Order: sequence, then structure tokens, then C-alpha cells
Amino acid sequence: MGLLDRVTAQSMDQDYAEVAARRGHRPATAGDDGASPDGPSAAPAAERPAPGVVGLLVIALFGVLVVTAGLQTSRQADDRASGRQELLEQIADRRGVVERRRERAAALRAENVRLEEDLVLATGSGRTLANRVDRLSAATGAVPLRGPGVRIVVDDAPNAATDQQRILDRDLQRISNALWQAGAEAIAINGRRLTALSAIRQAGQAITVNYESLRRPYVVEALGDPDTIPARFIDTRYGAEFLDVQRTVGLRFEVTTEGDLTVPAAERLTLRHATTAEVPAQ
Amino acid sequence: MIAALGLVVGLLLGLTLQPEVPLWLEPYLPIAVVAALDAVFGALRAFLDGIFDDKVFVVSFVSNVVIAATIVYLGDKLGVGGQLSTGVIVVLGIRIFSNVAAIRRHLFHA
Repeated sequence: MGLLDRVTAQSMDQDYAEVAARRGHRPATAGDDGASPDGPSAAPAAERPAPGVVGLLVIALFGVLVVTAGLQTSRQADDRASGRQELLEQIADRRGVVERRRERAAALRAENVRLEEDLVLATGSGRTLANRVDRLSAATGAVPLRGPGVRIVVDDAPNAATDQQRILDRDLQRISNALWQAGAEAIAINGRRLTALSAIRQAGQAITVNYESLRRPYVVEALGDPDTIPARFIDTRYGAEFLDVQRTVGLRFEVTTEGDLTVPAAERLTLRHATTAEVPAQ
Repeated sequence: MIAALGLVVGLLLGLTLQPEVPLWLEPYLPIAVVAALDAVFGALRAFLDGIFDDKVFVVSFVSNVVIAATIVYLGDKLGVGGQLSTGVIVVLGIRIFSNVAAIRRHLFHA
């Protein structure tokens, strides 16, 4: 018997027939549908066993089941529809958000490019400026400097009696000028840095540098090439003049070359009157 | 008569109470209803055949529902998903059809 045939033939539970047969009712087979359509209807309706209270309860349960399933399905359909609507709204919302974010990203990217260019310019000009400041502060005496150089110690002649036998401001001026000419890059006299604002002046018995009195002996330290400075010093006009005087009156004069000298920063570099004129940047 | 009354009472009860189906029971409800439908049509046919029996009806109803639900559950657990349920639906559908055909023959003698 084919599967479909079997299913069709036994579509009604066979138990009904079996129980009926056991009770002595008119025997009926489960597979007789259509075979004897007149058979059941021939039996009087009164003879038909009707469902009792239990059957009623089960049928009521069936009703509840059907209604519940229907309600559930329609409720789910509602849920699904509203969920779908909500999802559509969310999609639209999020699309808007994405669009806005994309615009913002584009704007930020453009700004990034611009800022990067600025940064390149700024670091470029910043580096140039920093280099310039370094150069200038070294040259103007704003920072301490160290390096090889020469140390010159000068002092009055022993048992000096006249001004001629003493070191005067003029002598220190000559030495300084000669050193500058000889290629010195920074000069300090007794630890006082010479700058464009420095003055070497006689004040009574004392010499002042940067308006501060010095004590003997005078130590002039100059940074520069220690190999060439002493020789070039003698060649300069001021150097020659000083050495003439020195030799004549017997002033003390010692030159030593140093591998590592340090000159301090100038104490005062403030300009009181001059201001920067507009200079085109290099 | 009493069956129609029971059905009406059940429908009204369901409509008024509107019982909330727990989430874990949701997948079993539709197929349980189909199984119940099969049992009810079988019972109706048996009634018309004059061989209706309360006990058989109750047992077939309950067992139909339970077996259908079990098959769905098994299908879920085995990973075949809805395909076992499809088999159940097909068999029950054929049964309902042939039962309804028998009922129709009883009622209209055709």
C-alpha cells in the first residue's frame, strides 16, 4: 500500500472502529470511507453516541487553541509590520547620519590637509626662526658659549709708578679690538661678556667693563681658532700698538691657548630706546 | 449539539481571555492547532459514522497535539528545522481532506 493510500485510508483513527467493535456496535472499518456511504447514515441519529462532558471540554480547549493561534499570528504580523516600519525609519535615520558623518569626514579631511600644509610652513619657518635665534643669540651674547680659544692675562708692570706702566682702559680696548679682528667669536674680560653694548672705561683707578669695576689681573678670554688667533693678534694694528706699549713699559702679558673655554652670557642686553625696524624675513 | 456548544464556549473563552503564549511555546502552537483540527475532524466523521467514543476522541486529540509538538521540537533540535513540520502538515492535511470528504458524503450523500 502506497504511503498516500495508507494515509488516506487511515485518515480516521482506527481506535474508533476498534472501540465500537468491542462494544458490539455495528462493526465499521476505518478504511471504508466512500465504500458504503449509506451505511452510517442508515443508522438512526439517536443511536449515535454523542460526545460527553470530557468531549465538550476538549472541544472547548480546541476552540481556545484555534483562537489563541489566530490571535498570536495576527499579533505577530502586526509586530512584524510595525517592526518593519520601525526598521525602515531607522534605516532612513542612519542613512542621514551616515551622510552627515561622510560630509563631516570630508570636511575634516580637507581641514587636515590644510592644517598639514600650515604645519609644514610653520615648522619650516619655525626652524628657520629657531636657527636664526640661535645664531643671533650666540653672536649677541645672549647665551653662554664654550669652545677652544685663547686666554690672555695682562697686568700692570711690576712696581708700576706711572699710569703708563699700568693697564688702562685703552689697553683692554686695544686687546679686545685686536682679538675681534683676529677672528674671536666671543670675548669675556674677567667673566664679563663683551657685546655690542659693552663699554670698557676708566673710572678713577679702576677699569669698568659693562659698568662694573675690574680687579687686577685682567683675564681676557676669547673663543676662536687657538692656532691662528695669537699670530693674527700680533698682525692687527691694535695688537701691534699694545705690544709696543707692553714691551716698552714692561706690562705683564701672557697668552695661553685653551682647548675648552666657557664665556658667560651677557648680563644686560635690553634695549632701552631702539626698537626693531621691519626687516624682511630671510 | 453539545460539541457545537463546546466549540462556541472555547472560542469565546479564547477571545475574552486572549491568553498570552509563552515564547518557548510559540513554534508549537500552529502545528498543534493543525493536529487538533485533524482530531476534531476525525471525531466528527466518527460521530457521523456512529462510532464516536469520548475516550478515543480525548486520547487522539491529546496524542495528536503532543506528537505534533514533539516532532517540531525534534526537528528544531536535530537541525532539520521546518522540514519535519512540513511532513507533519502534509500528512495531517491529507487526513483532514479525506475526513472532510467522508463527512461531506455523510451530510450530502454525495
